[in-house]
Amino acid sequence: MTTSSSATLSRVNTPPAQTWNYLRANDITLTVPCESRQGDVYFALPRLFEGIECGMGQQVTDWVESQATDSQYVEVKAGQKRTEPIVVSSMDAGVMVRAGAEATIVVCAAGAEPLPVSADSDSPRFASLAAELAGDTGKGPAAPVKTSAALARIIAERDATVHVLEFVAANDGVQHLESVGITADERARVDVRQFFLGAATTAAGLVCSLNGSSARFDLTCRYLGRDQELLDINHVVRMRGKNTRTNIAESGVLDGHAKKALRATIDLIHGAKGAEGTELETVLVLSDDVTNKTMPVILCDEDDVVGNHGASIGSVGPEQIQYLADRGLSQSEAEALYVRALFDEAVLAAPTHEVRAVVLERAKEVLGSQIAGDLVEGLGLADQPAKED
Amino acid sequence: MSERTQNRTQVADVDRSLYDFTFSEEGYERYDDGLTPDIVRAISAKKDEPEWMLNMRLKALDTYHAKEMAPNWGPSIAGLDMDHISTYVSPKTKQAKSWDDVPQDIKTTFERLGIPEAERESLAGVGAQYDSEIVYHNMREDVAKSGVIYTTIEDALHDPQWEPVVHEYFGTLIPPADHKFAALHYAVWSGGSFVYVPAGVTVDYPLQSYFRLNAEGAGQFEHTLIIVEEGADLHFIEGCSAPKYYEANLHAGAVELFVKDGARLRYSTIENWSKNMYNLNTKRARVGADAKMEWVSGSFGSHVSYLYPTTILQGDRGQCEFTGITFAGATQDLDTGCKVILNGADTTASVETKSISKDGGCNTFRSSVVVGRRAANARVSVSCQSLMLDDISRSDTIPAMDVRNATASVGHEATIGRISDDTVLYLMSRGCSEAEARTMVVGGFANPVSKELPLEYAVEMNNLIKLEMEGAIG
Repeated sequence: MTTSSSATLSRVNTPPAQTWNYLRANDITLTVPCESRQGDVYFALPRLFEGIECGMGQQVTDWVESQATDSQYVEVKAGQKRTEPIVVSSMDAGVMVRAGAEATIVVCAAGAEPLPVSADSDSPRFASLAAELAGDTGKGPAAPVKTSAALARIIAERDATVHVLEFVAANDGVQHLESVGITADERARVDVRQFFLGAATTAAGLVCSLNGSSARFDLTCRYLGRDQELLDINHVVRMRGKNTRTNIAESGVLDGHAKKALRATIDLIHGAKGAEGTELETVLVLSDDVTNKTMPVILCDEDDVVGNHGASIGSVGPEQIQYLADRGLSQSEAEALYVRALFDEAVLAAPTHEVRAVVLERAKEVLGSQIAGDLVEGLGLADQPAKED
Repeated sequence: MSERTQNRTQVADVDRSLYDFTFSEEGYERYDDGLTPDIVRAISAKKDEPEWMLNMRLKALDTYHAKEMAPNWGPSIAGLDMDHISTYVSPKTKQAKSWDDVPQDIKTTFERLGIPEAERESLAGVGAQYDSEIVYHNMREDVAKSGVIYTTIEDALHDPQWEPVVHEYFGTLIPPADHKFAALHYAVWSGGSFVYVPAGVTVDYPLQSYFRLNAEGAGQFEHTLIIVEEGADLHFIEGCSAPKYYEANLHAGAVELFVKDGARLRYSTIENWSKNMYNLNTKRARVGADAKMEWVSGSFGSHVSYLYPTTILQGDRGQCEFTGITFAGATQDLDTGCKVILNGADTTASVETKSISKDGGCNTFRSSVVVGRRAANARVSVSCQSLMLDDISRSDTIPAMDVRNATASVGHEATIGRISDDTVLYLMSRGCSEAEARTMVVGGFANPVSKELPLEYAVEMNNLIKLEMEGAIG
């Protein structure tokens, strides 16, 4: 029997080290639908995944596990180079990439309709699930918002290579929660590309634990916030292994009354000798009504390490505007170029037709149909199949 | 892959022998430990205060009891038990204008700290606080003639000309409800300085207040209120130290700085509390149009510190410069940094901090930069560098930025690491020994702060850091 209500998840996306609470930058509180599934049988992931720390915190993990009707487990065998992307199609997904294997994992949140997903040959019984819950998230009767969620836990064994692609391209009718946890053993390489292109609320957290020596983590996060959108991001890298490497590059564009909070933490844990971590954020602010909060944190419990971070927040400067004006571009056209570049990158990165369609749909809403059409044409993708084909 | 092995730089602990001496409290007036309305009334009565001040104290006491420390950030203050802290300890002496009139033990204390000598050589005025009361206060005659007021808050409250000014400003920049220990401060404050610099006056030499906490298991709660009127210029220096005990001491002072339009204030601090001290100090400046606030801050002592000087750039084209260094050694957990709030257009802020951690010491650089909607073209640059000298210490960097203006430009950079082998090799290739090379690197690391200090304080700071490499490489 299923009964619906809502629940409040407080202190979500909390970083390992926090700061003054009056800044309201430490966490986010979310109201989510909560369906009682008393009597249902839930096929959980193998116990191994329970120990993986995820970016949005244990409350969200518990909530997803309580709401998911099923889980999706995918294993890539040792040494296998899997070319077909693994599309996360359940709220609760676990991927095991065995030693020396390579895999691409895709998480995509679309608009009001569930994302059509490809059948996963390795786990057919979980293939048809949509990661979406219907429900009023408490924003009032005038603005019912659907909530979608994805919890992805990934294990990269030694020498494995894992590519993770995340796309959130929804609309103002959707609140999306995306919590990712990754562990990387010796010499494993994990690269994550995130495209947060819109939703009423996007709350995304990711923790990567570099447990093995010489493991490597590269994260590129591109985001767009506009209108009344709320974007809350929490990135944490636990650098435990010796000689591990981390590179985090975050960049985005904020416009309208958008609110963004980004927490990025590099945690250099005792014993991680020779580890090096770098994080960098560049933000382009296009409106005085934007709220842009950034917390780039380095925690260091080891001396033989290097930790760097940098942030640059600003607008298109007068010199840049003048340069572009000399070439016939108005300020608004110049600013639109930045947004278009973001979509260009997302379209190029989309690994499947379905994901590309989702990105282009969002591009139509943001840039208009003509420019969205130009995207495909300009990038030479009109007749080109997506990478998987 | 072979493991990297590097030799560690050996940096001596801060030599505290200069500061670790005590004199008996015999004959001192010492109030009971703990916090009660009766103690607060007794402090107020002792100072014969106006009623508004007593009311403010009692209300602040309620606020202190009602407020909690934030559970989710900051070092632990579990070892601080207010039931074992006396909030008022006073030597039986009156405030003197000549060192000859200061009791011998107190005079000896300040002589060993070099205060009278510094006054003779390079200061425009000195205030010396011993436990809860100012015991010495003096200012050069020519500075007084220019209209500058440098006195204690207590004396200002008894002066019909200045009481209304204190009433107007006191507790407005740091309200008692700001946080738990601000409330505590307002309940039991005692001592400190009141400085008023008239419009257009430049004080050529610095004024200095030195705070010495001699009593064991006691607190010091001085209040500093400085008003620099339009177009005026002042350098104020604050020094503090205490001998080491095995019982917790508490410092919860408050510093309120009003820098009016076109004025400039430099506020330098060398803090060298002993390692049993909880240093929960609050400092804040409000800066007018075309005015400039400069902070120079050296934090070396205390067991636990919460210290974040705050600058509010309220007027257009206001400027803030913050230069700070923190040295955390064994048993120390120092959470320091700064806050800048930019509300005026074309305001600028520059923050440069350094921290050194060794022997298990914990350093946290914590900052916030808030750019308001009105702060068009605001420019902010924050740089934070941390040096780890061993693998049992800790160094965290926790900056936060909140930008709400599209034309603002905010840059932030931070690095944490050890002395690089490449740098040492480079210097060795030019004839330095390895020890000399490492000494140069650590010295150069601290130099941006020490060069901002008057010479004698730079010397003191370098003594404090004791950047002698002792030749023990490896």
